[in-house]
Amino acid sequence: MTSIALLLILVSVAALVCGELLLKHAMQSTIAAGFRQRTFIVFLLAGVIVMGVYFLLTLGLLQRFDLSYVYPFQGLSVIFISAAAGFLLREKLTVPLVIGSLLITAGVVLVSIS
Amino acid sequence: MGPIVPTEHPKTAVIDRRYSVLRNPWLHLAISASCTTVSELFMKRGATDTAHISEQWSWTGLTTLGSPLVWIGIVFVIVSFITWLYVLKHMPLSVAFPASQVIHAMIPLSSWIVLGERISPTRWCGIALVLIGLAIVARPVARLEEKL
Repeated sequence: MTSIALLLILVSVAALVCGELLLKHAMQSTIAAGFRQRTFIVFLLAGVIVMGVYFLLTLGLLQRFDLSYVYPFQGLSVIFISAAAGFLLREKLTVPLVIGSLLITAGVVLVSIS
Repeated sequence: MGPIVPTEHPKTAVIDRRYSVLRNPWLHLAISASCTTVSELFMKRGATDTAHISEQWSWTGLTTLGSPLVWIGIVFVIVSFITWLYVLKHMPLSVAFPASQVIHAMIPLSSWIVLGERISPTRWCGIALVLIGLAIVARPVARLEEKL
């Protein structure tokens, strides 16, 4: 039971990370090429679908488990998204950015477990 | 994935500089976070109002759609999503996403002020950590914008 819950939580966090990356890539493409192009439409649609999956998974998890069990893991998504932005989108991860993100993660975990 | 244009492209930096206050991505991030917070409050009220309708169907969340408050909440979710896309266009994801987590401080604070919910000491500490983290994440970027 718990291992299935953990797996579902991991899948939902992965969906959130993928969704944000897809949306970021969609919007990034509009800077050079505008909104009427394939990359934007395909990545936006993919992003919306993946975010929809994340939304439904989270709702499903919240029906069965306490907020204080599900949300601390979601707080960890900050770390995954920052890391993915650094490696995949080649964004610059500065020391203050990493420290700030870790503090925010710790804060989100504390808010949700209390 | 195709070729990825780096966020701090020199051309976009010049365009960003000319942006008026209304086009500032930080303003849109604040609007997005505020809309999420307001939508949560409306949906919580709406969901509580409709909780008694049908126990058989309540697990789907569909019974909440009978409340106009939930629909107002949905409108705020849509506004929040559109402003978030604008934020993603103009800010690095590694700054925008951690900053968007400010909602984890705003939602308990507004539940306390508007809905009269209690905040435990641990939760106060969490809220403080989120706000300190946000200040640290936002500061280098703000300084960079000043230089431009």
